[in-house]
Amino acid sequence: MNLRGTFNSSTFLKSIFVAALFVFIYISSVSYKHSVSLSKSTELVVHSHKVHIELEQLMSYLKDAETGQRGFIITQDSMYLQPLVIARKKINRSFKILKQLTKDNLYHKKNLDTLSHLINIRFTFLEISAKLSLVTPVNKRILDKTILKGKGVMDNIRVEINKMIDLEMSNLKIRQTKYEDDAYFTPIFMLSLVLFSLLVFVISYIKINKDLVTLQKANQELIINNAAFKQAEILGDFCYTRWDLKTNKLIYSDNLYNLLGCEPHSFEPTVENFIKFIHPEDRNIVATGAENVISNDMVYIRHYRIIRKDGELRYFKSLGKIITDDEGNKIHIGIGKDITQNQLDNLALKEKNRELEQNNAELASFNHIASHDLQEPLRKIQLFISRIDDQEGHTMSEKGKEYFVKIQNAANRMRTLIDDLLLFSRANKAEKTFEITDLNLLIEQAQQELIETIDEKKAQILTDQLPVLNVIPFQIQQLFLNLIGNSLKYSKANVAPIIKISCEKIVAQDYPILKADDKKTFFKISFADNGLGFDQQYAESIFILFQRLHQSNQYSGTGIGLAICKKIIENHAGFIYAEGQPSIGATFTLFLPE
Amino acid sequence: MQNEPIHVLLADDDEDDRNIFIDALNELKINTVVQTVKDGQELIDHLTQDNNLLPHVLFLDLNMPCKTGLDCLIEIKRIDRLKDVAIAIYSTSSSEKDIEETFIRGANVYIKKPNNFSSLKKVLSQVITINWQYHTSGLNRDNFLLSL
Repeated sequence: MNLRGTFNSSTFLKSIFVAALFVFIYISSVSYKHSVSLSKSTELVVHSHKVHIELEQLMSYLKDAETGQRGFIITQDSMYLQPLVIARKKINRSFKILKQLTKDNLYHKKNLDTLSHLINIRFTFLEISAKLSLVTPVNKRILDKTILKGKGVMDNIRVEINKMIDLEMSNLKIRQTKYEDDAYFTPIFMLSLVLFSLLVFVISYIKINKDLVTLQKANQELIINNAAFKQAEILGDFCYTRWDLKTNKLIYSDNLYNLLGCEPHSFEPTVENFIKFIHPEDRNIVATGAENVISNDMVYIRHYRIIRKDGELRYFKSLGKIITDDEGNKIHIGIGKDITQNQLDNLALKEKNRELEQNNAELASFNHIASHDLQEPLRKIQLFISRIDDQEGHTMSEKGKEYFVKIQNAANRMRTLIDDLLLFSRANKAEKTFEITDLNLLIEQAQQELIETIDEKKAQILTDQLPVLNVIPFQIQQLFLNLIGNSLKYSKANVAPIIKISCEKIVAQDYPILKADDKKTFFKISFADNGLGFDQQYAESIFILFQRLHQSNQYSGTGIGLAICKKIIENHAGFIYAEGQPSIGATFTLFLPE
Repeated sequence: MQNEPIHVLLADDDEDDRNIFIDALNELKINTVVQTVKDGQELIDHLTQDNNLLPHVLFLDLNMPCKTGLDCLIEIKRIDRLKDVAIAIYSTSSSEKDIEETFIRGANVYIKKPNNFSSLKKVLSQVITINWQYHTSGLNRDNFLLSL
């Protein structure tokens, strides 16, 4: 489970959320700005309309006043003067509103001032013409002139008002365009931002969900692992400690308490409390071990004894290691194991080994001493036999001579037996000095030792090239000597012995008979003769000490030679096998490891 | 052959062996004077008496009670007056260990007690007629054990 990946993705999520936060702040400020500008545009449009309407109103008031004046001049009815007065009031109010509406616009202000002046003049003319119409007789010429002048002023007013309306209209047009632009782009912009945020949230949600699943899985796995670990602790008699070096907080596993013979969490997990359980002589080992782990950052193995709560002595082995977590905190992890059973088994094994070694030594010395001490009287028997033979031989009767020869043969046989036994005990002994040796030399020396018999029997020995191997030289020479000697001894009467010694390098897997690793290579050395051979059923028993296939008076064997061969081959981690066919020959095959 | 008799000393605890040794020497046509001692202590006592003549060759059995042949060998080699006496180890044992040890301790030749009388005579005549000075200078581990 890759928890590190999950941790990394939490940083990823954090950055996504920070980015999303910024996007939202941006969206909010932009939308606020847009709304503000939109409402401003609306306001400005409304304002333009108001100004426009007010100006139209003003115009219509003026017309009302004009109509009233005309009516008065024609009818001389003062009722028609009423609208004139009202119009004047209304115009004043309208002016006030307009002034209020256009107070920020210098151009309008100037226009308004001009307009106000013109309107005042217009009213003056209206009033003058009204008064003139009351004079009798009516001075038609002056009245007409006044009315005409008033009309000119009125035209000027109209021009002025139209100018203002035009300006306001062009303003309105600009504002309208701006308003339309704002009204068009704002929603698109907002929508795309919302969509973008939505996308970010969806991605984050998917990611969070995925991480959550991973975490849940990891959690599940941890729970299972924890349970398995606890069982393993109990089964394996081990426990663990976790020591946060920064906070100095220690955690003990439940099994640690169990191994100390206590109930889990029955005491506070501190170094001091643990030290109390350690055998006083071993406390130093644990203390220096922990120091080494902390200061040198290395894995450290310690052996110490624990005295359990119930007083039982247990042997412990522990391993300490510093690990560094993601935040760089150093944590000391300790694994402890109760190795008492191992320790006891080991001690028992050692004791058994010692006994075995002692037995072996006794046996070897018994063999050695027996052979030596047996030689002493035998030598004297042989010596005195030779004395009698020399001095009294000619005076003996024929029968006596015959018995005497039998005594001599028996003594000689005893001598051979003892010599062979000594050889066997030598092959058994532990003095195993391996040397890189040319086996060709060893076989030559073995032949030299047998040269008399070889010549006597006219034997032929055909030898392949032999390898150079790491062997115990005198033992291998003895082995060759015994095998060649054997072939010479059990040769057919009247047939010159032929011994073929062949050698080849082989791989163990091709010879299932070898109980060795398949890939191991051996030198297979065969000694094949044309002698008496033997029945295949005895192929294994001939290697057993004192096992013989022939009667003792027929051949001079002791039944030790092949046992020595087997011993020597075993000393070299090799194998020896025999194959025989009665009256055809025997083959002895050696496998010596390369 | 020689006018001066060769002085031979044998240290062996076995009476039969001592007698046969004397018989064999007597049958050799060499002018010898034989003396025998029964054990290691007697040997050392004999050799350290100033008025006794030193032997030309000392035959030393290894397996003797109390003071073994090896003990005697070590002791003799420590005494200045005796250290040049030619010493032939004369033992039933032919174990590598014994041969090795006596060679290192400075014995001159190692004889395995023969099984018959004629071999014994042959070995003794060989050892007694050795030119010790020559033999000792060419002595090595391989020719230390006298082969018959």
